[in-house]
Amino acid sequence: MEVYRIKPPQVIILIFLCVLVGLAYMLHLDLVDLFNESLIKLMMNGVLVLALIPMINAGAGINFGLPVGIIGGLLGLCITVNFRLTGFAGFFTSLLLSVVFCCMLGWLYGMLLNKVKGREEIAGTFIGLSMIPLMNCFWTLVPFQNRQMLYPIGGQGLRPKISLEPYFNNILDNMALAKIGAVEIPLGFIAFFSLICLLLALFHRTKVGRATIATGENEEFSRLSGIDIAKIRLIAIILSTVLAGIGICVYSQSYGFIQLYDEPLAMYFPAISAILIGGSTGRRAFIFEAVLGTYLLQTIYLLSVPIANEILVPEITEILRSLITYSIILYALLHRSGRRLSH
Amino acid sequence: MGNILEIINLSKNYYGIPALKNVNLTVKAGEIHGLVGANGSGKSTLMNILFGNRIIRETGGYQGQIYHRGHLLRLNNCAEAISLGIGMVHQEFALIPELTITENIKLGREITNKLTNRLFGHKYSFVDKKLNAQSAALILNKLGLDIDVGLKVRNLSTNIKQFVEMAREIGRQDLNFLLLDEPTATLNKDDAQLLLNVLLAMSRAGVAILFVSHRLEEIKQICDRVTVFRDGEVVSRYNQGEISTTNLARDMIGHTVTKAVAPTRTVSNNPAMIFKKFSVAMPGEEIRELDLTVYEGEILGITSLSGHGKLALGYGVMGLYPAAGEVIYGKQKLHRMDSRTNILKGIYVLPDDRQGLGILPEHSVADNIIFTGNQVKNLFSLRLPRPFTGFLDQQKAHRYVTQLVHDFEIKCTAITQKIKELSGGNQQKVCIARALTVNPKLLFVAEPTRGIDISAKEKILQMLIETNRSQQTTIVMASSELDELKRICDRIAVLVEGRLFKILSPDASDVEFGLALAGEENI
Repeated sequence: MEVYRIKPPQVIILIFLCVLVGLAYMLHLDLVDLFNESLIKLMMNGVLVLALIPMINAGAGINFGLPVGIIGGLLGLCITVNFRLTGFAGFFTSLLLSVVFCCMLGWLYGMLLNKVKGREEIAGTFIGLSMIPLMNCFWTLVPFQNRQMLYPIGGQGLRPKISLEPYFNNILDNMALAKIGAVEIPLGFIAFFSLICLLLALFHRTKVGRATIATGENEEFSRLSGIDIAKIRLIAIILSTVLAGIGICVYSQSYGFIQLYDEPLAMYFPAISAILIGGSTGRRAFIFEAVLGTYLLQTIYLLSVPIANEILVPEITEILRSLITYSIILYALLHRSGRRLSH
Repeated sequence: MGNILEIINLSKNYYGIPALKNVNLTVKAGEIHGLVGANGSGKSTLMNILFGNRIIRETGGYQGQIYHRGHLLRLNNCAEAISLGIGMVHQEFALIPELTITENIKLGREITNKLTNRLFGHKYSFVDKKLNAQSAALILNKLGLDIDVGLKVRNLSTNIKQFVEMAREIGRQDLNFLLLDEPTATLNKDDAQLLLNVLLAMSRAGVAILFVSHRLEEIKQICDRVTVFRDGEVVSRYNQGEISTTNLARDMIGHTVTKAVAPTRTVSNNPAMIFKKFSVAMPGEEIRELDLTVYEGEILGITSLSGHGKLALGYGVMGLYPAAGEVIYGKQKLHRMDSRTNILKGIYVLPDDRQGLGILPEHSVADNIIFTGNQVKNLFSLRLPRPFTGFLDQQKAHRYVTQLVHDFEIKCTAITQKIKELSGGNQQKVCIARALTVNPKLLFVAEPTRGIDISAKEKILQMLIETNRSQQTTIVMASSELDELKRICDRIAVLVEGRLFKILSPDASDVEFGLALAGEENI
């Protein structure tokens, strides 16, 4: 096994995290409560971060087109809510529908990305951006019947925020919740998240998975070894999109709302930051990196809110978040171009 | 006449590997000085030093002195060389495709409008298109070319481009020393003759010319003196009248003690693969309408100068570069140049570019050995019911790799070690192990010993011979190492400009090879 090397972004983040924990302790914030919540935050955002892994490993770069998969997931969620399915039945129906939609969207997205090989990241960004207005039209025009989803006035068009309270709000969060004193461990949620990690790990051990990693590492080698590059990339991109769809379902049940319209755009930068903080170079990514990065980033978000509220103006939180998110991505891009030249 | 150029004890290393060793050379005004040598003999390095190419400075400069018209030459970049009146015609065209012929020829030396010259200075003055076109046409006429100078260079054929490139240098008033790197390589005989005539005219006008060519006949025809390079050293020098192509060829290749490793034998007459008018569009290594038959069970060597197509054959069959023409394998025609189909049919290619195409650097030795066999032939797969197929049988793979690592003496700390940490020789052994895992009937190998130390070289050649003898694998080995080819091949095909020039027996003399490589018929 490779020795895990700590890189500058992780050092900065770790120092920042330590300072925040110290501040939280000094301000007498409830650290146990914060820890409980950090676990939830990890798994709530974790799947969206895992969604980046297949594409990075296939050499298709960081999936800046994550909104494509998110939109597929939102479609699944909306249809489930429209039919008022509740509980586990509702949640798993939404997962199933998301997977179906994401397969179709991912296939289209993959075909497009195969045409712009080498520029997937910028192309993905703009595919994601152009999907948003298209879907904005769709959300306002789609003839859903459930009154709780529609604008209260006029009764037409979906609301920007649809509450999941009556359906499957926090269904994973509260599944098999173990309480040890004040510490709450969501065993069910952990099991679900671990299952997805395990499946992804298993995928990478299959023949297709190994071909994916080889393609990402040395495309010409793979071609000479008889691998259909376009097909392998397509599989990785579809898998990435499907995971993004599942990711948004998991996120929404935890958050309690389905967020439509421009909201998918707010989702993918934190995910990308997370995997980069975890130590991925944007060429090869490991599940461990995704989990570590998500935990660090989300915990910082979590801690910075109450602390900023106590000692600073509240708006500073949002500023700090954006600053961290964007600068980490910038750092990774700088770092990578340096590597490319040194070859 | 005095010396335009005087080189004293020039040496140059690239990362500790000597490219030039104590070279002494003078070029007089009005002299055409020929420079010949095999690939990697140091000709290009010398040209790069004389033209101030950046790569020289970036790799640590050179030792020794160079005097240009009596002054010590210290070049930091090509612009300084140009300002001193040194010109260079490159082997690869240094033309701007989107500009017209006129613009390319006159670039940086445009004739400008006098009035605006006075108003804004020469740099920001209007360019007089008409005068420039006339002047460019005049220069091209001198080269015997009558062409619309308003055409974009992108649309020109290669030989016209060569003339444009020449015209740019000839058009310079201040030119006193011209470097030519294989200017006739892309030209046919008649066009080449035109160009040679221009060179002769220039030399009469007092320009000193350093002329690199692989066409020994040309060297003989126009050069006043010729210097032969081998392995970075000057091995011989002839004056006009003493020059003979046979001597040049012999000096280029050099006499080496060859130890026959593979005894000669008769091979079957059953063709294993027949190429008919086979072309491969590999940039810089094109094969053009090659006709070649590979016989079952033989080791066929393929050699050529670099850029003449020896490397492209295997890549063409695997579909890495667009290919045309017909390939008959066994009794069947290959319909698709596709690597998966062809590996299944028993064809495998070991690439020359080991780092780029031959290995998965971040993967382990074991992964590198079993990858192709596992992906294409499903070897080492766990036998599980669908849809759980595709997992690796770790134990089986482990046993197999351990055995191979032992047999081939691959030096690694463990079979899980990353291959990028291995030496070049051991990486190549891993590549051969991977090829043998898919058990090919026909194996293409390109430059198998490039960048490998001497002891590992012998081992790798031995591995190839054993594979051929014990498993009846037909091997097509492309290499620029003539000595190695002669030791292990049954026949050696020499390619010139992407076509089969001659098939020689491994016993043929170095002179014969030298002449064949240069595309000269026997005299």
